[in-house]
Amino acid sequence: MAISGVHLTRIGKGNFLLEPRRSMNIQEQNMLMREIVAAVQQEQGERLYYDLDSLPIIDQVYYDWLDKLARTCLAMNIKMICINMQPTAAFTLSKFLTGKPVFETALAVPD
Amino acid sequence: MVHKKEISERLAALFSLKVGNISERLEETGREFFCANNKLMDEDEIADLSSEFVSLISALLSSKDPFKRTSPQFHALETFFSGLSQRMLMRGGHVEDVVRYAQQLQYSLISALEADSGITFTQSRSVLQFFAQHFDELIMAIFRTYLSERENTLKAQEEELRETSTPITEIWDGVLTLPIIGTLDSSRTMLVMEALLNRIAKDHARAVVMDLTGVKNIDSQVSHHLIQMVRAVQLMGSDAIITGIHPEIARALVSLNIDLTGVTTRASLSDGLKEAFLRMGIHVTQKAN
Repeated sequence: MAISGVHLTRIGKGNFLLEPRRSMNIQEQNMLMREIVAAVQQEQGERLYYDLDSLPIIDQVYYDWLDKLARTCLAMNIKMICINMQPTAAFTLSKFLTGKPVFETALAVPD
Repeated sequence: MVHKKEISERLAALFSLKVGNISERLEETGREFFCANNKLMDEDEIADLSSEFVSLISALLSSKDPFKRTSPQFHALETFFSGLSQRMLMRGGHVEDVVRYAQQLQYSLISALEADSGITFTQSRSVLQFFAQHFDELIMAIFRTYLSERENTLKAQEEELRETSTPITEIWDGVLTLPIIGTLDSSRTMLVMEALLNRIAKDHARAVVMDLTGVKNIDSQVSHHLIQMVRAVQLMGSDAIITGIHPEIARALVSLNIDLTGVTTRASLSDGLKEAFLRMGIHVTQKAN
């Protein structure tokens, strides 16, 4: 699906895989969120797998973006699951995270 | 300075004439410190050592400026003593032996020169001062080597201890166990966390059982590190199970207001493994006879 800065693919019944590209601009997160959620909802998606494989570090700004997207998904009854989180990213995120994040986490997309 | 230079030239001349005899005299000192009780060297090594020392000191005395401690000749002497110090430590010797050998060697050298030349070097203040200053610097080189070797040994031991005290084992496909033994401080937690997270990524581990049976005390900082470790494991998408929490530690966690919501705990490592298997849908049953 053509959304600027991300690659969204349907990977099974109700499952979507979101792969952020280098060109993704989280400064325009409102527009991005609208487009992603609309595309998933249109196809009656239930789960959005957010691939973090290309992200070595997750800072506060990026976490806020993930948090907002997960909350928006939750409001639309879509479960957001972050997959392939890198050890370095998990380490940095665990340092400033005070509670459980809104999104779920998994090692990879389940078989 | 001119006076000192005259003396050193005289010494160099004497050395070049009587090298063989001096070397033999100096062997006695080597035997006394490295052969007598500790058997750190054999006779051949002692002979080589004395001969090398004589040629190095001879080179220094006949150098352009024997007082210069940045000269290649003096540097060669420093390297000689550093090498000797390193060799003796590796063979189980003590730094004291090498230092005492160097001190004794200084006196033996002056006596040998005096005996061979007939000149009363032991009565010459400038000669004694010249050798004292040089040997002080050489003893410093021995200590520098000793400290550096000691530091390297301690680092290696520390590294080995870290590796053996936090063995991460894949006990089942996708199940890792991490028994934590001893004190968990900030630097160790970071190392354990780094190793654990990398292992989760490498093995695609779905569950991690962290066993605290070997942890007797916990404080505020350590408990926060522990929770941080659990959180990082969960963020990677694995299940974290903590086992073997002593009543004392449980009490400490409560009094420290540590939020254990979302952290799975079990009484023993066995219970933790059962929980991990249960989550992965693995049933372990006893084979019927």
